[in-house]
Amino acid sequence: MSQDKAKTPFDVYEVFSQRSSTSPFIHQFSLLAPNHEVAMSMARENFLRRDNCVNLWVVKRDDVYVLPPEERESLERLDNKAYRETKGYGDLQSKWRAHRERYEAQHGPVKKEV
Amino acid sequence: MSQLVREGLTEAQYQAKYEEFLAKIDSGRKIEADDWMPDDYRNQLIKLISMHSVSEIMGALPEKEWVPKAPSLRRKLAIMAKVQDEMGHGQLLMRVAEDLVAEYGKSREDLLEDLFTGRLKFHNVFHMEAPSWADAGVIGWLVDGAAIITQTMSLDTSYGPYSRALYRICAEEKFHAQHGESIVLALAEGTEQQRQMLQDAVTRWWPALLMFFGPPESATTIKSNQEQNMRYKIRSQTNEELRQIFFDKYVPRIFHLGLTLPDPTIHYSEEEGKWIYQQPDWEEFKKIVKGGGPRSVQRLDLRRLSYEDAVWVRDALLGNKVAI
Repeated sequence: MSQDKAKTPFDVYEVFSQRSSTSPFIHQFSLLAPNHEVAMSMARENFLRRDNCVNLWVVKRDDVYVLPPEERESLERLDNKAYRETKGYGDLQSKWRAHRERYEAQHGPVKKEV
Repeated sequence: MSQLVREGLTEAQYQAKYEEFLAKIDSGRKIEADDWMPDDYRNQLIKLISMHSVSEIMGALPEKEWVPKAPSLRRKLAIMAKVQDEMGHGQLLMRVAEDLVAEYGKSREDLLEDLFTGRLKFHNVFHMEAPSWADAGVIGWLVDGAAIITQTMSLDTSYGPYSRALYRICAEEKFHAQHGESIVLALAEGTEQQRQMLQDAVTRWWPALLMFFGPPESATTIKSNQEQNMRYKIRSQTNEELRQIFFDKYVPRIFHLGLTLPDPTIHYSEEEGKWIYQQPDWEEFKKIVKGGGPRSVQRLDLRRLSYEDAVWVRDALLGNKVAI
C-alpha cells in the first residue's frame, strides 16, 4: 500500500457467487479493490443487491491462469462423441419393445398388468 | 503509435489477423478482452463504453440529490436503490472500458480525467435541468425507458464483456423504469397541480428524449460511426430505428394519460409504417454534448465535488494516514 503504486494501487478481482448450496459457483464480474477484504465487501454491494447467495469468492485476476486466446479454438468439440452421450444410444428402446412384442405374441405377458 | 508498429506486424500479417477477426464476429462468436482486435474496433468500444459508464455516474449524482426531497419513505428507499444501481452500472462499465484502454497503457484515472477536460462526453440528458419531482419521475420512466431500448439492442454486441455487463444492467433498468412509471402514474392520478407538474416535465424533456438516440442517418457527421459499429456488430440498429421503437412504446402511453407533446405534428403514418415527427435542433444537441447545456458546468462540478469529498474513503481503503 505504498505511494509508489500511487497511480493504480488497486488490483482487479474476479467475483464468483453461489446461489444455493446445490448450484455451481458462477462468475459475476470483476472489480477493482486494494485487498481481498475490500473486494469482498464491494462484491456484495455490486453484485448481490437483489440475488440470493450462500457463498462468495473473490480471486485476484493475476492469480487466474487463463487459456491463451489462440488455444481456445482447440476447445471446440468434434462431433464424434455419441458413445459418451445418451443420444448415442437412441435405438435401445425400440429394440426392447420389439423383443417384448415377439415374446408376448407367443406366451402372453410375463406379469399381468394391474 | 500504429497497431502495426506496436505489435510488430507486417501489412500482410495484419490483414490475415483482420480477416480472421471479421470471420469470427460474422460467425456470431464473441471477442474477449485478451483476443486480438483491430485498433478501430477497440477505439469504438472505448468511446462507446466509457461514455456509457460516465453517463451512468453523471446521471446518478444529480439523482441522489432527490433523496432528502422525495415525498415518502418508500420513494426515498426506491430512489436510493436506483442511485446505487446506476453507480454500480458505472463501475461495471468502467471495468470493461479500463480493460480495453490497458492496451494503450491507460487506466480509469485517465478516462475520468478525460471527463473533466471534456474529451469524454456524457449523455445529453444529463446536461439538462430537473427542477421538480415530476422530472425525477419522467427521467425514470422515459430516460431509463430510452436507455433500455438502446441497451437491449446492444445485448448481442460482438464484444463479450460488454454484452455480459449489459445483461446485468438491463435487468436493473427495468426496475428503474417501473419506479419512474410509479411516480408518473401517482402524479397523473393526482391533483390538477400535480398533473400540471407532470405535463411541464414531459414538455421540458421531449426534445432531450428525441436527441437521446442521436441524429438520424441523413445527418452525415455521425453516419460513418454508426456504419462501422454495425459492421463490427457492436450495434445492430440505427439511431432512427431505435427512436421509432421508443415512439411505438411511449407515445401512446403519453396520450393515454391525457398528456400532450410539444410537437403537434407527431403521428403514426400507416402508409409509411413509421412515426412522423419534428426533428429537434441538432445544432443545439452538438452544443449540449460539448458541455454547453443548461446544467453541464454544475454537473461536472458535482462530479468533482463528489470525487474530492470521497478522498478520505479512498485513503482509508488504501490504509493511508489522512491529515484531519
